[in-house]
Amino acid sequence: MSDKSIQIAVLLREVCDPNPPARLTEDGYGVSDRGLRRFANPADICALEQALRMAEGKQGSVTVFVVGPSRLEDLLRLALSMGADRAIRVWDSLFAGGDDVADARLIERLIQIFDCDFFLTGNGLLDRGAAPVPALASAGLSMPYVTAAVDFEFQGEGIEVLRKSDRGAKQLVALGHPCTLMFEDGCCEPRYPHQDALMAALEMPVEHWGLAELGLTISEVGSYGAKLGKERCSFPRLNPKRVVTPDADLPAFDRILALLSGGIKPREGKLHHGSAEEMAEMLLGVFQAEGLVGGGQK
Amino acid sequence: MMFENLFTPRKIGKVEVKNRISFQPHLTNFAEKCLPTERHMYYWGERAKGGAGLITTEEMSVHPTDTAYEKLVEAFHPEVIPGFRKITDYVHQFDTKMFCQLNHNGQQCDGSISRLPVWAPSPVPDVLFRETPKQMEIEDIEEVCRYFAISAEHVRQGGFDGVELQFGHSSLARQFLSPLTNYRDDEFGGSLENRMRAPLMFIAAVRKAVGNDFTLGIRMCADEMIPGGLDLAQVQEICALFEASGLIDFVDLSIATFYNLYLVEGSMHTPLGYTVPLAAGIREKVDLPVFCTGRINDPVMAEKVLAAGQADMIGMCRALICDPFLPKKAEEGRLEDIRYCIACNQGCIGRMGINRSLGCVQNPAVGLEKKWGEGSLQPAPIKKKVMVVGGGPGGMWAAKMAGRRGHDVTLLDRNDTLGGQVLTAMKGAGRDEFGVIIRNEKEQVDKAGVKVELETEVTADKVLAAKADAVIIATGSTPKANPVGGSDGPGVCNVWEVLEKQVEVGDNVCLIDYDGHHRATATAEFLADQGKNVHIICSSLFIGAELGPTQDLYLTRQRLLGKGVSFSPDIAVMEVSGEIGEKTVKGFNVYSNVWDEWNGYDTVVLAMGQAVDDDLYFALKGKVKELHRVGDCVAPRKVDMAIWEGHKVGRTI
Repeated sequence: MSDKSIQIAVLLREVCDPNPPARLTEDGYGVSDRGLRRFANPADICALEQALRMAEGKQGSVTVFVVGPSRLEDLLRLALSMGADRAIRVWDSLFAGGDDVADARLIERLIQIFDCDFFLTGNGLLDRGAAPVPALASAGLSMPYVTAAVDFEFQGEGIEVLRKSDRGAKQLVALGHPCTLMFEDGCCEPRYPHQDALMAALEMPVEHWGLAELGLTISEVGSYGAKLGKERCSFPRLNPKRVVTPDADLPAFDRILALLSGGIKPREGKLHHGSAEEMAEMLLGVFQAEGLVGGGQK
Repeated sequence: MMFENLFTPRKIGKVEVKNRISFQPHLTNFAEKCLPTERHMYYWGERAKGGAGLITTEEMSVHPTDTAYEKLVEAFHPEVIPGFRKITDYVHQFDTKMFCQLNHNGQQCDGSISRLPVWAPSPVPDVLFRETPKQMEIEDIEEVCRYFAISAEHVRQGGFDGVELQFGHSSLARQFLSPLTNYRDDEFGGSLENRMRAPLMFIAAVRKAVGNDFTLGIRMCADEMIPGGLDLAQVQEICALFEASGLIDFVDLSIATFYNLYLVEGSMHTPLGYTVPLAAGIREKVDLPVFCTGRINDPVMAEKVLAAGQADMIGMCRALICDPFLPKKAEEGRLEDIRYCIACNQGCIGRMGINRSLGCVQNPAVGLEKKWGEGSLQPAPIKKKVMVVGGGPGGMWAAKMAGRRGHDVTLLDRNDTLGGQVLTAMKGAGRDEFGVIIRNEKEQVDKAGVKVELETEVTADKVLAAKADAVIIATGSTPKANPVGGSDGPGVCNVWEVLEKQVEVGDNVCLIDYDGHHRATATAEFLADQGKNVHIICSSLFIGAELGPTQDLYLTRQRLLGKGVSFSPDIAVMEVSGEIGEKTVKGFNVYSNVWDEWNGYDTVVLAMGQAVDDDLYFALKGKVKELHRVGDCVAPRKVDMAIWEGHKVGRTI
């Protein structure tokens, strides 16, 4: 690789906390904001960490960008405090409602503008799983891309990337630049920004780009550029809670015994002793555990 | 809502079911001339009124060779359609969906009814029917396919919302699937692919007949639980393949075969929800809605199974026979009003086993819904002062029914709690759930406005002084005082005294069983659990002669043997003698008439029948305006008759 300092662009995205049960909006076409917790996609933060390490070795500069409303500036300031050089928030109300192809067109254009050597982001989204947009964007630019990357090493003019392969195997991929690398969540320990850096990041400038800055037409982005529409959402079927099923390899007689002892047993009565207050508390706990009164049952 | 999952609608195939409670297929013996009847209509209608989201009918026969029982509806005759229409129209007015189950029982059939050979994949006789079948020729298989299709068409024309094919514990399809019963070496036997061929042909024929806009599912046997039979892993594979065929919309589940019928219809001794692990196992492998049935008698438990994602639909059978309004009561949060099934199996499975019409110990209205169903109770034209003596199940029912009709009822009992003999019976080993009968009625007695007076010794004078308009005697029975020579001697007691711990029982016990029911076996187990050596002598062919039809026999004997209880059947006991520690039982073999004796017991326990407690009845006879007696004080029988008579008197008084 030449001595010219390298340019790295990192895409950060936000995800919804998949843990608390999500609620649907009234019309059933989206996820309700009520009680929803959003945070940075963990894999994207890992990609940012990898980008910072890349830049440190080569005196490169790191540009982070997000696509979305102003609340995403928090992500950018986090990136700045970690050591990113430039932060850009890309948003226009016309970008809303795009499908993967329309969104990829947007990212494709951004990579073109940045003219970067490496475009880094996370491999997949924590809430949605697969996220084909970065791959589509690089394919549109005929740029090679590596998914499930876990580590990298500069090799002469190019770069060698270690990636996860099938069934726990690892693969070493060598490629030149420009290229796209999608890093796995947990491939590195993202640095923890210093308090001063955090405070400083609050003052640092964040650029805002809209449709005009990108030079795209309305028909290429957002809902106008989308081929796919939204379908009504519904909750997926619950996965069965694992219970002990009789081992099919056991002889039939043992399976019967397993079933007759391993099913849900009739509940036995229990005797409790204590003061009236303790008993009331205990009873309430039992009712809550049984789902007979609100507020219990996890 | 208390039961969020249970009352969430669910799409099953092409229909939306309003909640997750499915009233499962089971025999009723209500058919007449092999046609559906009005009795069916009111029976299923009552469960629809009670709020079940889905009802699946009893199995309907698809072919003349399928005659497992005398009173099966023969769905291959077009004459069934008008009856079907009446049933479905009636049920649909309560917003309940209704499926019809079609079945060919294969080898699990009785050729003596049809006077035709029994058909099966291979000439393997069933363990229960014991008839060697004819090995089906390919033409026979094709004929059954055709008959399945014809019957399914009748089902559709009959107004049902869907059809379920029985591939479970008693079915020709299972016999094809299972290596246990399929020994064929042609394209219908051997590999899994071959064994699945005939069942797939049945499904395909029915799908073709009903079209793609009709719901079609199967009831699979989740595990045959017998050496050489299908196990869960194989059934998971089979279900996944059926699903992949794209022909079916849901998977209903049953378990076991006739080799182990006690698992099909789990008794009080099987854990609640004992089949849940199997349903969860199937659900892991298929995306279709999966039904789980088997001792889920409680909405709280049903909700848990659904919340854990172990099944999509909860099959309830006995729970809704016992209380048709369980779904509605659960939805309204009136759990205290639910009459829980106790899986005693006496009225339902027990009566089916001896070819009677379906019943329920705790619900006299089963099969008589037209006459006794919800809304049939009329207020009494003249309000009377009613006195019920005896707070056992018979007395409680009489008081409850009379109270609901507006009479001024007082219920008296000498004990400190209601329940009568049930209180004693529930102390037998593993019989505690029997006590739920009391729990079910106590609250209802109060709600009916009955005044309960406990710890009251009732005499004739007291009754006369109260000047009641009507008196109902439900004083029950007591163990026979001196049923056999020497039974008044030392170290001899009866089962009630043992269960109530009123007597000291030695280490070596001989139990004389003229009962054949839980009274004897549960007491023997109760003693064996205390580490005593128990020997049972009975005059029947085997110990627990009455336990067969209720499917209690197998596990009861398994436990007794496991606890070291020994048996001497065929012996008529004539005399008990000797001192404690040297007690001797003398009797003769009822077949050979040879006398024998058994020595060296500390205690002899008698289960030799009950005697009526009718003193009060005869003391009052002719002295009060209206006198009735119900239950054991008429003739000592079982709890079902006490409840039946109490209910009847309470209704008519």
